[in-house]
Amino acid sequence: MSTLLELSGVSVSFDGFKAINNLAFQISEPEMRAIIGPNGAGKTTFMDIVTGKTKPDEGRVLWGEKSVNLIGKSESQIAQDGIGRKFQKPTVFEAQTVRENLAMALKNPRGPLDVLFYRKTKQGAARIEALAEEINLTEQLARTAGELSHGQKQWLEIGMLLAQDPRLLLVDEPAAGMSPAEREKTTQILVRAAQTRAVVVVEHDMEFVRRLNCKVTVLHEGAVLAEGSIDHVTQNPEVIDVYLGR
Amino acid sequence: MQKSFIAQNPSVLWFLACLGVFTLGVTILSEATGTGVISTSFVKTLGKVLCLCLVAIAMDVVWGYCGILSLGHFAFFGIGGYAVGMWLMYARTEAIVIENLASRTIPPTPVEVNEAIATQIFGVVGSSDFPLIWAFSHSLTLQMLLVVLVPGLLALVFGWLAFRARVTGVYLSILTQAMTLALALYLFQNDSGLRGNNGLSGLQNIPGFEAVPQSVISMGFFWASALALALGYVMFARVLSGKMGSVIRAIRDDEPRVRFLGYHVESYKLFIFTLTAVVAGIAGALYYPQAGIINPAEIVPIASIYLAVWVAIGGRGRLYGAVIGTAFVSLLSSWFTGGGAPAVDLGFYTIQWTEWWLVLLGTSFVAVTLFFPGGIGRVFDKFARKSS
Repeated sequence: MSTLLELSGVSVSFDGFKAINNLAFQISEPEMRAIIGPNGAGKTTFMDIVTGKTKPDEGRVLWGEKSVNLIGKSESQIAQDGIGRKFQKPTVFEAQTVRENLAMALKNPRGPLDVLFYRKTKQGAARIEALAEEINLTEQLARTAGELSHGQKQWLEIGMLLAQDPRLLLVDEPAAGMSPAEREKTTQILVRAAQTRAVVVVEHDMEFVRRLNCKVTVLHEGAVLAEGSIDHVTQNPEVIDVYLGR
Repeated sequence: MQKSFIAQNPSVLWFLACLGVFTLGVTILSEATGTGVISTSFVKTLGKVLCLCLVAIAMDVVWGYCGILSLGHFAFFGIGGYAVGMWLMYARTEAIVIENLASRTIPPTPVEVNEAIATQIFGVVGSSDFPLIWAFSHSLTLQMLLVVLVPGLLALVFGWLAFRARVTGVYLSILTQAMTLALALYLFQNDSGLRGNNGLSGLQNIPGFEAVPQSVISMGFFWASALALALGYVMFARVLSGKMGSVIRAIRDDEPRVRFLGYHVESYKLFIFTLTAVVAGIAGALYYPQAGIINPAEIVPIASIYLAVWVAIGGRGRLYGAVIGTAFVSLLSSWFTGGGAPAVDLGFYTIQWTEWWLVLLGTSFVAVTLFFPGGIGRVFDKFARKSS
């Protein structure tokens, strides 16, 4: 296990409101990590900073063995470097088929000319089949993504994330709006992904977090409040005070 | 396992077949090569419509597929027209001037010839010198290059600035409209070097073909326009098929998401914006020799808005929709505004279509947008899908 992503002293404020306040965070590869915290704790802002959507006012975001600074890089560059992101609301391209959605996410050169002259390959098709298998959508490959159920869209988005073959997956509330059986399946997908990669799951649902069985980071007011096993943090009086007690 | 491009896009074959039959039909019925049922002026109208269809599919690609509502593509069209018009006007004036000066006892010097051409062309705006931008006007090859290069470079620079600043949606439309308006206003000035509001005229007279009757020349341009439309259609269908089309439609539907997939969205938009601008320029270069005249009034922003209306009525996001919408609306428009449509007498008021046509067009546009987002092209969707 080596450190894959390290944030230190990161702060960002919007109109005077400190969304992230001197945040320090580390994750290794492979590792599964859950981030919990009340609304406004800075979970989404944290993801925005890592993926390049938001530029922090200060601090460092270091990535990989060479400790490359990610601040200032574009979203697409960071994604190409190996950070994939799944949004809270499932965002798949609804007008296109499941296969097209997955094909777009497949790890391939991303330049316009590469894409213009892209030829479908046997390996690519096989990879799509394997991914569809993994996310339970084999039967749906030819269907338009807009026709999928909410849970299936969540899976498709996770599948697109896996197709990118990222080293770090940032997953925002993957189990929201899912049935118990779907949650079970989602847990399996994430746990399997975490065997070879770093996976950060932001989740509200304690039961789901407990099932992930991993280290938990509690965010509060833009900083880390507690870190450790789920039992450890849920017994922390401060955590109970700001989050669980409510 | 690879299906061929045509097999995946049967609508391309259908389109080419229809275009081929249409071209053949017009040829047989024209004055130059057939029975003469279709007058030469109508052949020109049809040829112009084909050019408008070409710029419309470019507009559909940039707007319907990539989601950029550009109100500048008719400006690119006009630039193409000006570029070819400069050569047409120069070469023709040169021929006339040399003929006139030939009767003199002392042969004219090249400087005299040049001055005489300049006086002929620019006398109308009170000048007798060639402006710098006419430096290449003596060469057809160079002006043809400008047809492609000027719209292409303008789109590249403008698009780079706008997309890099992440200007999107209605703000981008306003920005493109401002560019178009600025260009038109500049061209309206007498010292713009392109004869101000007089524009370039006499473009229907092709230098070197003075002996050829207009009926034959119009046929040539008609075929060239049909060929350009066919090539443009196939090229865009090729670009839009497969992964490129997938990414472009994804940008239209959810731009930030495409960024997080690792695609540099700005490069893609720039590619599409520039490619379509170049095609618009080529379409303009074929259109204006058939129209005979180009002036700045042609490229004011309303022209680009009409272009958007045609594409919307035809149905955005389908190439054949853009062609159908443009052909339908522009032919209908020339029927109504040309006095072809009979006036409707309501007793208390008589509807003169020359005045009311725009009201009808505007109402149809609103109706299509609100109630039939698929436009006319929607009728053909099933047809295009079923055979795939």
